[in-house]
Amino acid sequence: MPVDKVTLEILKNHTRAAAESMAYTLYRTAHSTFVKETEDFTTGLTTPEGETFATPTELGATWFVGLNYGRAIEMIDEYRPGDICMTNDPYSGFVCTHPPDTHIWKPVFYHDEIVAFSVGHIHNTDVGGAVPASLSRSLTEVHQEGIRIPPTKIMSEGEINQEILEIFMRNVRAPEQNWGDLKAQIAACNTGERKVHEMIKRFGIETFRQGVGDLLDYAENQARAIIRDLPDGKYDFADYIDEDAVDGWPCRIKLSLEINEDNLILDFTGSDPQLESSMNMPTGGDPRHALVLVGVIYVLYSLDPRLYLNSGIARACRCILPSGTMVNPVFPAAVGMRTLSCNRLHGLTFGAFAQAVPDRLMGAPASGGPIMNVNTTDIKSGRRIMAAINPMTGGSGGSASRDGNDGSGANQGFLKNTPVEVNEVEAGIKVHRYGLVTDSAGPGKHRGGLGTEMIFESLAPNTKITARNRDRTEFSGWGIAGGKAGGASSFLRNPNQKNEINLGNTDIVTVDPGDLIYVSCGGAGGWGDPFTREPSAVLKDVKCGWVTPQHAQKAYGVIIKNDMIDKPATELFRKKNKSKTSAVKDNTFYSVCTAQLEFEKIWTEKNYDALTEGLCTLPVSWRFFAKHQIFSTIDKMASDDPARIDGTAVKQALSELIEKFPDLKATEDA
Amino acid sequence: MAYRVAVDIGGTFTDFCVFDETTNTLETHKVLSTPGKPGSEIILGLEELSKRKGVNPQKISWFSHGTTVGINTVIQRQGAKLALFVTAGFEDVLELARLKVPDPYNIFSQRPQPLVPRERVYGIEERILLDGSVEKKVNIQSVKSAIKAAKAAGADTIVVALLHCYANSTNEQQVKQAIKQVDDDVEVTLSSDVWPVIREYERTVTATVAGYIQRRVANYLSAFQDALKQAGVPALPLIGKSNGGVMTAELGKTEPISMLLSGTAAGVMGAASIAQHSGRAEVISFDVGGTSADVAIIMDGAAAYGSGEMVGDFPIYVPTVSVTSIGEGGGSIAWVDDFGVLKVGPESAGSTPGPACFNNGGEKPTITDAFVVSGLLVSDRLGYGAVNLDLKKARASIRSLGDKLNLRDEEVAESIIKVAVSGMFLETSKLFSHRGVDPRRFSMVAFGGAGPMLACHLAKDLGLAEIIIPPTPGVLSAFGGLVADIRNDFIRTVMVDVNNKGLKSILMSVKTLEEEAASWLRDEQGFKGKSELLWSCDMRYRGQSFEIETIVKQSWLYDSSSEQIKAAFHEAHHQVYDHSDDHAEVQIVNLRLVIVGTVPKPSLPMTKERKSLATPSKNVKVHVDGNHHEAAVFDRQKLCPGDHFYGPAIVLQDDTTTIVLPKFTAYVDGAKNLILTANGIQDASR
Repeated sequence: MPVDKVTLEILKNHTRAAAESMAYTLYRTAHSTFVKETEDFTTGLTTPEGETFATPTELGATWFVGLNYGRAIEMIDEYRPGDICMTNDPYSGFVCTHPPDTHIWKPVFYHDEIVAFSVGHIHNTDVGGAVPASLSRSLTEVHQEGIRIPPTKIMSEGEINQEILEIFMRNVRAPEQNWGDLKAQIAACNTGERKVHEMIKRFGIETFRQGVGDLLDYAENQARAIIRDLPDGKYDFADYIDEDAVDGWPCRIKLSLEINEDNLILDFTGSDPQLESSMNMPTGGDPRHALVLVGVIYVLYSLDPRLYLNSGIARACRCILPSGTMVNPVFPAAVGMRTLSCNRLHGLTFGAFAQAVPDRLMGAPASGGPIMNVNTTDIKSGRRIMAAINPMTGGSGGSASRDGNDGSGANQGFLKNTPVEVNEVEAGIKVHRYGLVTDSAGPGKHRGGLGTEMIFESLAPNTKITARNRDRTEFSGWGIAGGKAGGASSFLRNPNQKNEINLGNTDIVTVDPGDLIYVSCGGAGGWGDPFTREPSAVLKDVKCGWVTPQHAQKAYGVIIKNDMIDKPATELFRKKNKSKTSAVKDNTFYSVCTAQLEFEKIWTEKNYDALTEGLCTLPVSWRFFAKHQIFSTIDKMASDDPARIDGTAVKQALSELIEKFPDLKATEDA
Repeated sequence: MAYRVAVDIGGTFTDFCVFDETTNTLETHKVLSTPGKPGSEIILGLEELSKRKGVNPQKISWFSHGTTVGINTVIQRQGAKLALFVTAGFEDVLELARLKVPDPYNIFSQRPQPLVPRERVYGIEERILLDGSVEKKVNIQSVKSAIKAAKAAGADTIVVALLHCYANSTNEQQVKQAIKQVDDDVEVTLSSDVWPVIREYERTVTATVAGYIQRRVANYLSAFQDALKQAGVPALPLIGKSNGGVMTAELGKTEPISMLLSGTAAGVMGAASIAQHSGRAEVISFDVGGTSADVAIIMDGAAAYGSGEMVGDFPIYVPTVSVTSIGEGGGSIAWVDDFGVLKVGPESAGSTPGPACFNNGGEKPTITDAFVVSGLLVSDRLGYGAVNLDLKKARASIRSLGDKLNLRDEEVAESIIKVAVSGMFLETSKLFSHRGVDPRRFSMVAFGGAGPMLACHLAKDLGLAEIIIPPTPGVLSAFGGLVADIRNDFIRTVMVDVNNKGLKSILMSVKTLEEEAASWLRDEQGFKGKSELLWSCDMRYRGQSFEIETIVKQSWLYDSSSEQIKAAFHEAHHQVYDHSDDHAEVQIVNLRLVIVGTVPKPSLPMTKERKSLATPSKNVKVHVDGNHHEAAVFDRQKLCPGDHFYGPAIVLQDDTTTIVLPKFTAYVDGAKNLILTANGIQDASR
């Protein structure tokens, strides 16, 4: 029998108190500055089966709500009180999703029985491997991404497993930090265990056991009620990462969202084959993997912020994640930079839902801005400096009710910047500008949020700038319901000078003293026809320096002279023209940037269908290669050849490839 | 002999706390606040005190008061029309803030609108470098065109916040001069005056709040000074500060930023004083009013200080007694969601219309209504007789939920209380974990209108050691003003390594701060009594992005004793984070100095405790823990030191009701505090 609805609310507050206390304990005792600055960690409590029933919301990463520990829990044969298990292997149990994340779990016993697990993860600054910090887009195998510990007891009945620990620490670049952070994780799990015992004492074991099940049901029922409120239907959408590898071809993630009464089906068929770069998302094909449901949880919570966040929400969802694709890569695909793909996946999810309820969601969230690090030499002391500077962020999309938030928001609202003054003191650079990017917002009746930009000067030779997660130089964020696409992101060396170099999506560059770096995040997509935007709102943006008068005319049809609206001219212009900033595909809900429009003229749905169908007949290890071969063939074709866009040339190129390589032919025949 | 008077002006009530130095006794009084006519509530209160308790205004030798006028100006957005001048290239500093949105799980979450809209932010051509050197002098032409534009946009106050001005305020001063040359009437606020510390957003937002409230607070303080004069009070008018101290009202006109959160701070200081007086080292203060519950941790008699405390939508970075505000109070409304689950808050009935039982138009069930229906809140003396409780209305409001929950009235009432308490449990648990301390060692000082009503419930859940209800729980914030010292904070960003060379380089700053502090106390406050200097440094390990304020000795700074300073930091780091690294390099980011002019405290007599079982004035029927009980009712004024009694019981006094749950024991200590303990309270949580 379910617990009563009063006790349920009280238990809910107590479980949350437990999860929040765990998070505070971890945050307080963690050693690495990285954890303290980025809050890239989680804590929580799960059922004996591994479903998370309590998650902190005050501290920690927002991306792992409802992570299921079940598959990792199963991989340990026997649990005893005082045991703590750990893994950072993305291919064992698919709890961990890239090697820097160490996940740990501790069984909580009541008498002889496990009644819960106390769990959590932390992103380690480094776990060894080919590059410092263990993350680079250029890596192609998980072996290059650091040491991997399969699910193992790091503590047995309260005793630390020194051998494993030493092997782990021997293989990482800053072992004392990893050890310090691991101790913080253990302290957090112990706090969770103690809190579970307190709850059992207060509520009784039966109420506790039944209650946590009811809390999962509660979140599930809430989620289902929100879904039931959305119109049934199938909503297809695709979005791109600029490059599938360094200097690669565009990488597509495809989602077909089906809303069926109170169920969601998310079919990712048609997404790119697994990549020979590290942007793969290891999900093991788990139909409810937290990593692919982040976007869904954002959407449901934003539609009704009363939603209680736990694994119960995932029960209303089922994902189709074809094996050998970037959303379910097979071993040993590299996965370190899955953050970049996850970002795109969130936006993709927002977009698919927006089709169902355009008045309740927003245009594309801004993205493509990197996490920036500087590695340089301090002029005075000669000391080598390694410092994180700003994450470059952009705003949330425009929506039916208002403009997007400027500078940050949507799925990146948890990030914090570093003050300019601190950057100058700590990172050995001089900042010339930090602010919002003029004309970057996707125009709309309600425009998207603006991106941010920074210009800084290197002060020493051999200064290395890393810009992790750079993207959207080509394909910027889309607008919806008549709203337009936001501006692209950018990364330049010596902007507006003779020696300007466009660094594109590069993620590392070495510069000299006196060199200027310009880096920006794209803007978010707009909502609704920009020619219906209140002219006074356009005027305000002009006064704020966020929109130029030229852009005001071209994108919004508003004529502004000397900070005043020319009303008759505006009315006339709006009558005669249409917004011209970004191209619109006829009869589609989304409006995309010119680069994407041009790309999709060639890479049509038909081409992609042919490609998806063809590639899945090949062995996984051949698919990325085959995709590249086919893309390059199509690229070279004459632009007026109808076969180039209707799928026939794709099929043709694929069969030629199979003919060319006898091994492939053999698998084909088999 | 004379009277010492402290007043706390809140949104609804103005509380008076009077210490009679002749008789060593404390008197309290409440009148309704008059936000429309500031100062008149003070005159009224003094008149009533004079009439009823014989307090002669001319014999008042100390008069301090806390006010919400500054914070209300921000919340209601009724402050100055600001313009902001910043270093060119960084005009979006307030728009961007520190990027993070209030609710990162919600993709619609937005940062609040800054107090200065972006179109009234102007870039000034100038540049100071990180070491304080002037790379580019102020381009006066850029200032002039900014002033012209700001005035055309209607700005009446200009805030100036330039990069690295904490290291050198020359350029800000020059901008100010240029502004004054063009227009002497416009108010100018410099960020280097308000709080000269590194981190441009933090400094800028603090300066804008300061500029925003300045005129209103100054006008208010003038009215306050006039009111005292009119009433014939000879004492120097003092006002409470967010750091728990006081300063002269005259100075408050130019430093309004430091008094914004004086009300909550004074409450904590009152609680700290009670704790210290009764020898409790680890204390949590629990102050519950109509809309919120404020909790703070007090260790060894000292409150914790924080920076970045919220004033309305904005964090301010001047030293402030750190308080966690929970959005639940006596007026919080209970409701049932679509899934049949009982919730309390965040909506509140506030003071108007107030709980249904106030019979003032409120119909929704509140926490207070739940206490009325449980029989725990009886109407005899609430709010100095200003409030009559309507049981029928309370029941009707509760019943609206009973149908949905399928529970009887008393059961609904108890459920509301328990759910509300579990919400407070959640927030206070976080606070304990955040500080890494064990609640089982803590005493709770409960006060405010609803604190003593909810104290037992929350203490039981948290497993606290005991509860202390001070003699005047309803006016503890005013009491805090009575025991406050004259206090001010000084800061310099120095950014040096802790070694001989680094420490030598800050000697000048040490001396300057000390001179500034001495002159503030002596010249600006006219204080001649005993004073104290408290030095500390915001320190960190190289590479960390956060600092820990570490107390240091003055001699360490003068002698450049790097080993002692490092050792103190290692220890502080260990205390906060459970670990430290004796080999890592240590940096000082900021140098801090607090000057305290010590004011003689009222000495409340400790009466000898004579053990005896107290006799209740009557018994009433109550519903707690799922059962009906007979609860004894006591009159707080009639309880004597040494008296004890057992829960369930209700203690009545003018300003609040204390509820003693079953299994709790109450006794009155020598300072007339009511101490509540529960047998088994500690076992429950172990």
